[in-house]
Amino acid sequence: MEVLIVLSPLFAFLLIGLLGRRLGDLPSAIIAVLGSVLSFIFSIPALLKALNSPFSVKLYDFISLSSYTLTLGLYFDPLSAITTSLVCFISTLVFIYSIGYMENLFGQWTYKFYAYLSLFLFSMLLIVLSDNLLGMFFGWEGVGLASYLLIGYFHQQKYATNSAFEAFVMNRIGDWLYLFGIFSIFYLFGSLNLLEIFSKVKEIDPNLLGLAVLLLFGGAVGKSGQVPLHTWLPNAMAGPTPVSALLHSSTMVAAGVYMVARLYPVFESAPQSLKVVAFIGGFTALFASLAATSHTDIKKIIAFSTMSQLGLMFLALGIGDRSSAMFHLTTHAFFKALLFLSAGSIIHAFHHHVHDIYEVGGLKKHMPITYATFFVGALALAGIFPFAGFWSKDLIIASSYEVSFGLGVFVSFVSFLTAYYIFREGFVMFYGPERHREHFEEEPHEAPSVMLVPMVVLAIGSAVVGFFEGWYMSALKDHKEMHLDIAISSVVIALLGIGLAYLVFVKRVLDPEKLYQSLKPVHTTFREQFFTERLYHKILAGGYMLYSKVLYATFERQFIDGIVNGSYVVSSALGSLFKGLQQGRVNLYILFLLVGFSLLVLITFLGGR
Amino acid sequence: MKIVPLEAYLILSVLLFGLGVFGMIVRRNLVAILMSTELALNAVNIAFVGADSHLGLVDGQIFALFIIALAAVEAAVGLGIIVAIFRLRKVESSDELRDMGG
Amino acid sequence: MMQWIAFLFFASMTLMSALGVVFLSNIIYVILSLLSTLVMVAGIFFVAGAELVGALQLLIYAVAIAVFYVLVLTAVPWEKALKKDSHYRVEGVLTFPILLAFYLEIILVFLLGVSVSPKGQIREFIQNLGNTQVVGSILFSKYFFAFELVSLVLLVGMIGAVLIGRKEDKTYEDSTS
Repeated sequence: MEVLIVLSPLFAFLLIGLLGRRLGDLPSAIIAVLGSVLSFIFSIPALLKALNSPFSVKLYDFISLSSYTLTLGLYFDPLSAITTSLVCFISTLVFIYSIGYMENLFGQWTYKFYAYLSLFLFSMLLIVLSDNLLGMFFGWEGVGLASYLLIGYFHQQKYATNSAFEAFVMNRIGDWLYLFGIFSIFYLFGSLNLLEIFSKVKEIDPNLLGLAVLLLFGGAVGKSGQVPLHTWLPNAMAGPTPVSALLHSSTMVAAGVYMVARLYPVFESAPQSLKVVAFIGGFTALFASLAATSHTDIKKIIAFSTMSQLGLMFLALGIGDRSSAMFHLTTHAFFKALLFLSAGSIIHAFHHHVHDIYEVGGLKKHMPITYATFFVGALALAGIFPFAGFWSKDLIIASSYEVSFGLGVFVSFVSFLTAYYIFREGFVMFYGPERHREHFEEEPHEAPSVMLVPMVVLAIGSAVVGFFEGWYMSALKDHKEMHLDIAISSVVIALLGIGLAYLVFVKRVLDPEKLYQSLKPVHTTFREQFFTERLYHKILAGGYMLYSKVLYATFERQFIDGIVNGSYVVSSALGSLFKGLQQGRVNLYILFLLVGFSLLVLITFLGGR
Repeated sequence: MKIVPLEAYLILSVLLFGLGVFGMIVRRNLVAILMSTELALNAVNIAFVGADSHLGLVDGQIFALFIIALAAVEAAVGLGIIVAIFRLRKVESSDELRDMGG
Repeated sequence: MMQWIAFLFFASMTLMSALGVVFLSNIIYVILSLLSTLVMVAGIFFVAGAELVGALQLLIYAVAIAVFYVLVLTAVPWEKALKKDSHYRVEGVLTFPILLAFYLEIILVFLLGVSVSPKGQIREFIQNLGNTQVVGSILFSKYFFAFELVSLVLLVGMIGAVLIGRKEDKTYEDSTS
């Protein structure tokens, strides 16, 4: 029964992939939605069952080696079951939304899109539910593949294909580290099964364990877009907005966080590695926030905020607070997907022609519902009471204050920046002069209801999910208290950020243009992500391309082609040599007869002696 | 009858046979090739008859008889072929008959 | 003693005629040399005591086959063949060493083999009855089957030669239909 959770998007993928051309685009979309809905429906009873007693479902014996059998199976415990339901719910909403978003592309093989989405869902569920590291790796690779296919969906645009390639390659680097992590785990534990690993974790030498765990974390760095494998995430916005909403905000990039949380007993036994996790998470959080303050692309700002929030989650994991990190993952899924869907609604309103926040303005009266949902999402992200972000971010801030005061201040500064940049985007787009009049003639219209309904559902979710904190914590066997002073101070800091954005962009107390001009070097550094993107693209990738071009011109053309061409020359020469034996003249044949006969006599003579 | 030793017959036969084969290789004219074939056959006949005289048997002579008869047939057929080739192609040397060459 | 001289005479004439067959350029000379060779070979047969075979050699070879060749030489205008085109010079030079090696081998084989060959048993018959009768008695008893086969082959060859040499009455316009 529980197998159907994983199998129903797989069936949807196969069905759409094989028959999508025949079925058409809208039926394919409906099949994809059905696949996701069925997974969600089946996940509820599994969730209820798992809350009380975790259970495993064994699926398949994959390869049996002499001493160990590789299997595929599912493991339901509160962590995985809740995350499964979350993933299925969000993906159902995004699938429904995408029917409206992609409708102008229907008739152009859009069934591919739904096939890829279903493939993605299947792989994501495999990551979440798998009971051993091998199944998790299958899902890991599967989401990487789906991400590549979906980012490069508009494959006629060079930017999109380059971004897809970059995403895949960076994911690959992370996967490579992850694979070595799996090897080390197998070497240390003798098994890949999660339960067996958890039971044996105390017996292993912490240093070796730390190394294995860092390798696994390398995979999470690639998958979640943390520094240094981060440049693909902003560029992944080249894909359609539903893809950004689903993969690159709430689910796929969250797989890294989920993986660390899943293997938390192993991480906990190697405390040094947790420090690395926290460091990378914190560094990325600050880095991404600074970059987001200076970007102007509608979706890239939100992408950077994803990177930053994931950094906060890793920070929480690193300081030992698994449940806050997972709860923040859950609430983040809601409001981040909501923000992306609202951004997509704006992009859709201008028929996919806008990308920059300064190309639009004053949309508040044209698209009221989008305005409302965007601001609900923004408030949740900023962490204002009573929206969901407040509850989860407050937990993280509280945990960081417990570790050290400096860390708490750091996280508060990051949340200040978060509030600033997201409200900067909101104010520029929805208030102010109607800049879009300069570029487009038609009035922007509100999104169709097939897109609005998921947005509203997510908005309600963002508002309400925070109240489930108590239930969530008890499900994860943890207990959190509310620290009133920290709660109030975090709200105040967020309001300060909102206020700053308001003053600068709405009331124009300081002219943003002049501000930017004066701080141009700082602003450019932030914008170029401290030049990491340039470094990666020009130096690493460019250098490799140069190296391969040189190798091609010298080694490949001269040596290998020389051998191949030379074999032609050699065989041709041999052929013409043998051709000479067959002139067609009788005389030559008789000569050969004579030669052969002499040889025979010689052999007989020598043999008979 | 045994004054002429066997070796003499055999050496003669060998020399004649080699000359016949050499003629087959070297000559360009088709009829000349056939004539060299006759030479070779005669050489074999000499060998048979010489062995016969040495051994005192007559079986070799019978075989030589057969060879003569068959050589006659072969000459007839071969010459018929040459005439047909000439009628068809108007060539008489084996230079131009290279259709089956590579 | 006489036999030895006769043998030497016939052998040397055979070899010289054979050299003429191989090396002469004018095709008419070649046919004449062939005729001479055939007659000399018949002489060798007589020296060896094979009278029947020698007579038949003269009859069949030196008469019938030589006439074949002369007939073909008249039916086809061979006179136009150029002298300098009559031999393959290059192949000739290349073949010579091979020929030499062949000679040496065979002669060696023969010389070695002669010493171990068995001796015959019917010498008395030959001296009593004469060569022809003995050949006839062996031919029609021991080799009768081969004799009949050879006559069959002769028949087939005759038919074949007639067919091949026949002039085509109708000319085919094009061979692909």
